[in-house]
Amino acid sequence: MLKKSLIVCAALILAVALCACGQSADELPVDTPEITASETPEAPLVMDPEASPPETSAEMPQDTPEATPASESPSETPSGTTPSSAPSESPSAEPSPSPDKYGTEPVPAGKAEPVEPEAIAVGDTAFTCTLSVRCDTILENMDDLAPDKLELVPEDGVIFATTTVTFYEGESVFNVLQREMKRAKIHMEFVNTPIYNSAYIEGINNLYEFDCGELSGWMYNVNDWFPNYGCSRYQLKDGDVVEWVYTCDLGRDVGGFSAAGS
Amino acid sequence: MRDVISDLHPVVSFLYFAFVLAFSMYFTHPVTLVLSLLGALSYSIYLKGRKALGFSSRIMLPMIIIVALINPLFNHQGATILTYLPSGNPLTLESIAYGISSGCMLITVLCWFSCFNVIITSDKIIYLFGRVIPAMSLILSMTLRFVPRFRAQMHVVSDAQRCVGRDVSSGGVLKRAKHGIQILSIMVTWSLENAIETADSMKSRGYGLKGRTAFHNFRFDKRDRSILFAVLAIAGTIIAGAMLGGLKYRYYPTMKGAAFEPLSVLLYAVYLALCALPVILNVRENRKWNALKSAI
Repeated sequence: MLKKSLIVCAALILAVALCACGQSADELPVDTPEITASETPEAPLVMDPEASPPETSAEMPQDTPEATPASESPSETPSGTTPSSAPSESPSAEPSPSPDKYGTEPVPAGKAEPVEPEAIAVGDTAFTCTLSVRCDTILENMDDLAPDKLELVPEDGVIFATTTVTFYEGESVFNVLQREMKRAKIHMEFVNTPIYNSAYIEGINNLYEFDCGELSGWMYNVNDWFPNYGCSRYQLKDGDVVEWVYTCDLGRDVGGFSAAGS
Repeated sequence: MRDVISDLHPVVSFLYFAFVLAFSMYFTHPVTLVLSLLGALSYSIYLKGRKALGFSSRIMLPMIIIVALINPLFNHQGATILTYLPSGNPLTLESIAYGISSGCMLITVLCWFSCFNVIITSDKIIYLFGRVIPAMSLILSMTLRFVPRFRAQMHVVSDAQRCVGRDVSSGGVLKRAKHGIQILSIMVTWSLENAIETADSMKSRGYGLKGRTAFHNFRFDKRDRSILFAVLAIAGTIIAGAMLGGLKYRYYPTMKGAAFEPLSVLLYAVYLALCALPVILNVRENRKWNALKSAI
């Protein structure tokens, strides 16, 4: 009996010693799809000589969803970039009646279908779109904001004013955000989430998800529509208007609640 | 070498270590981290001489560096962007600073614990906790003793094995592994046998009977009382000051915290006094001892 307790104790001590090394806060992005491809807009990476022209890109990727198992439907909805959760009574979109293999519900008629970033080659034809990053919802919810972050919120809520930016054929919303934040020296942290095959924007300008209440985080909309899939899967078209907005209420306060599954 | 803290009543010395360890683990302010590290290092050098210095340079320095390097790999918060990592996320000054401070905290606590192990011996643990949690304190003191004892016995066994030609340090890999396993098997048998012997011995001495007493010759004298009051006063000041925000510090999103306001400076001084207490007491005691010796 004594022997046993000795062994148990030795194991305990080992465990305590191992526990001492735990400090890191975030998990490592498991894999990195080639979405970080183009860094310098002057010389974009040409991955594929036969890049498809951008006009066809929007209706191109019709994924075949019939064969997908139902087990992959997502259970929760991190705000912003991830698709809807509940089996929705969404508008009858004819192309895909059930979620695709990343759990994305059918896209409403007339909206851009998700594409898979690893299958897209970035061309060198330049287009322009409009990008802005705002957090004005925080101004209405100052009480919920983590006290340390107070100094980070701009007075007018505009982190990156509406700007016309250049992007290259085949690039996604994520590519443009990453490049422009880097160029404007604005902090931005993301994590690649393989189950949604997209980057998830954790924080911009050090304003992170959950910093302003537990329903807060970053969401994006393109031409006033909040896509129900991640920003790496949204392929831009010429003249698109991209807005990144901070929500404090799961999208309800910015008009994007439908993307969160209602 | 005599040490004042180990001559104190166990309650006082244990309380001292409890406060120092708790403060070292709780406060992230850079000044307190450095003060605590200096206190722990100087005390462990005083207790263990040059051995402590070798340990700290060989194990602790790399530890700080590793922790400082790992944190920015996983944590990208912070307003000062230095460059971008290959993953595309920013490398920030704040995350590096946080890594260094947590590495510093880690080795400070390790260092204090190494002093704790020298001062709070197993008989003191039994004395302190024998009444409150008898089984736990027994197990604790036995396990704490088990590791050095196991190592000592392993030395004996491997020396004996070397004499009969089963050397772990020569021969092919396979041969060496075979001899190593032989030694391990001997050690397992030894520890099993040892446990049974210990159990029998304890039983024959009436372990577990009611009304058992434990021998000790600890006395709570005047010096203990004055040091206890000093430690309590210092700890009380630090806790009260910390509650008032005198030791506040945050690393994210920008490094900011109490700097050199009067309250904070007072707290730094008091904290320094707490961390340097063992060394101060020992130096004073040695000086007194030498003065008395030369007076004879």
